[in-house]
Amino acid sequence: MSSKSSLLKVILLGDGGVGKSSLMNRYVTNKFDAHLFHTIGVEFLNKDLEVDGRTVTLQIWDTAGQERFRSLRTPFYRGSDCCLLTFSVDDSQSFHNLVNWKKEFIYYADVKEPESFPFVVLGNKLDVSERQVSSEEAQEWCMESGGYPYFETSAKDATNVAVAFEEAVRRVLSLEDRHEHLIPTDTVNLHRKPRSATQCC
Amino acid sequence: MDEEYDVIVLGTGLTECILSGIMSVNGKKVLHMDRNPYYGGESSSITPLEELYKRFGISDSPPESMGRGRDWNVDLIPKFLMANGQLVKMLLYTEVTRYLDFKVVEGSFVYKGGKIYKVPSTETEALASNLMGMFEKRRFRKFLVFVANFDENDPKTFEGVDPKLTTMGEVYKKFDLGQDVIDFTGHALALYRTDDYLEQPCLETINRIKLYSESLARYGKSPYLYPLYGLGELPQGFARLSAIYGGTYMLNKPVDEIVMEGGHVVGVKSEGQVARCKQLICDPSYIPERVHKVGQVVRVICVLSHPIKNTNDANSCQIIIPQNQVNRKSDIYVCMISYAHNVAAQGKYIAIVSTTVETSDPEAEIEPALELLEPIDQKFVAISDMYEPTDDGTESQVFASRSYDATTHFETTCNDIKDIYKRMTGSDFDFENMKRKQNDVFGEDEQ
Repeated sequence: MSSKSSLLKVILLGDGGVGKSSLMNRYVTNKFDAHLFHTIGVEFLNKDLEVDGRTVTLQIWDTAGQERFRSLRTPFYRGSDCCLLTFSVDDSQSFHNLVNWKKEFIYYADVKEPESFPFVVLGNKLDVSERQVSSEEAQEWCMESGGYPYFETSAKDATNVAVAFEEAVRRVLSLEDRHEHLIPTDTVNLHRKPRSATQCC
Repeated sequence: MDEEYDVIVLGTGLTECILSGIMSVNGKKVLHMDRNPYYGGESSSITPLEELYKRFGISDSPPESMGRGRDWNVDLIPKFLMANGQLVKMLLYTEVTRYLDFKVVEGSFVYKGGKIYKVPSTETEALASNLMGMFEKRRFRKFLVFVANFDENDPKTFEGVDPKLTTMGEVYKKFDLGQDVIDFTGHALALYRTDDYLEQPCLETINRIKLYSESLARYGKSPYLYPLYGLGELPQGFARLSAIYGGTYMLNKPVDEIVMEGGHVVGVKSEGQVARCKQLICDPSYIPERVHKVGQVVRVICVLSHPIKNTNDANSCQIIIPQNQVNRKSDIYVCMISYAHNVAAQGKYIAIVSTTVETSDPEAEIEPALELLEPIDQKFVAISDMYEPTDDGTESQVFASRSYDATTHFETTCNDIKDIYKRMTGSDFDFENMKRKQNDVFGEDEQ
């Protein structure tokens, strides 16, 4: 089969401090930096990959810290193809907040069919010793919420990071009506050079 | 909170969000707060429709015919972007364009003798237009060529006109333009709302006519652009820029007090905590004692189920009602957009009438505009005070922005931003200051 390239907007969503930026950096650059000062100026990272014979470009968007005080809105959310709901296994509050993040995503991304939207859930910081959220508890929530795939990850030691993103891509590609994205017609590209024809007035 | 910032910004109107973005991109540590749960302040787009009804004190729910509430994004202020204007330059330099899609407004119309006429967008349309007679058209064309060639740095283009001394009235006389052409030029092209400009030196007017022509040439149809999902996307986009460069955002955050010491700002108190800062930017509503009222604007948001008559079924348009057509001092504007811009439910149109208030009965003042829109499904009437700062911020380091005026573009807003920037930094504003500082699609080049 021919390989068909497409750009997918993927967002990582969850409480501040659960490791979203670290996951993004681990996956795209295979680096882990505990301080993350270098994410200033980073809006999204791109990664090309091949899944089941198809080549896609993932555009993974950073929250830029706007989630800390719940100030994320449509510039971040709109146009997302997939949402990775992320919590930290050592922080039960971040797990309980997933339900709010899911609600907020559905609202601001204006998702028309929430039941079939491809959510993937990540329980990060698997490397820490003291868990507050058990695997069983998380699996149960994922199953009840919509049968979401669940991955326990560590950005620090790279556990399950790549496989989680790849599953996210599979979920998006498996949607039959994916190509029916509402692309606005007759919009203008502000970057294009003006027309050369002279005009009156 | 309980931290130290270079700049605290209160209110997430477009002016404040653009300034926040500029300051963050330039390495300032910025805290940006708004008492509302949404971005935009006075320049927001209200969604869902139920919120708009609530905001305007309408106790009924929207009727079924209005469709899904979430499909509505209703602007509180009616404006379009000049395609070659300063706001578009700001969007391009900051790449805030990546969050937004724009459409060209489909037409511009001018009211004359009780009817509306299309403002010509091509030479063919101009020749066919009934706005002026044939001999007038030839003189007008000569005038437009003069304007197009005019370069304030090249005296050879002046044709005896002094850009800093010759009044615009004198320029019109030089080209022997009649009153109809003068009215059209001043109000439909230079977009003046009054006739005060006639006694002013001509350079500003020439530049405004140039801006209109260059904006029109960019895409055709009209000089205006409009963002899908409403104008409220603009402040959100610039806020996102600020956040990417380290700005901290707190919506739903009440401001208890602005803390001053020895006449200058030292911080902001919210919910018992104080964030300290060296400088403060805010919209007028946060600092009523440091602004004064300079007038009022009336804006009436009208929901329609039809395009406006005689606009060739346009999904978007502007109508200018020049002040002397209706015995006023200021022009009345109508800005119309629709479901085609993802701001209304399918088949619905939003027309917003606005003008500077001149009497104690502003709704009666705009009656000629409302008549053009009938039948109207629902009206939302807002009469807003306009404020300006009383203090330039030198001593206090408090920089209040100006309220949004009745113009239907953002040039005055951008001028306010540039002025505040200069007072805050001591340097002239330069669009280069808005450029993103590094390749923030890191990783793309490695594939």
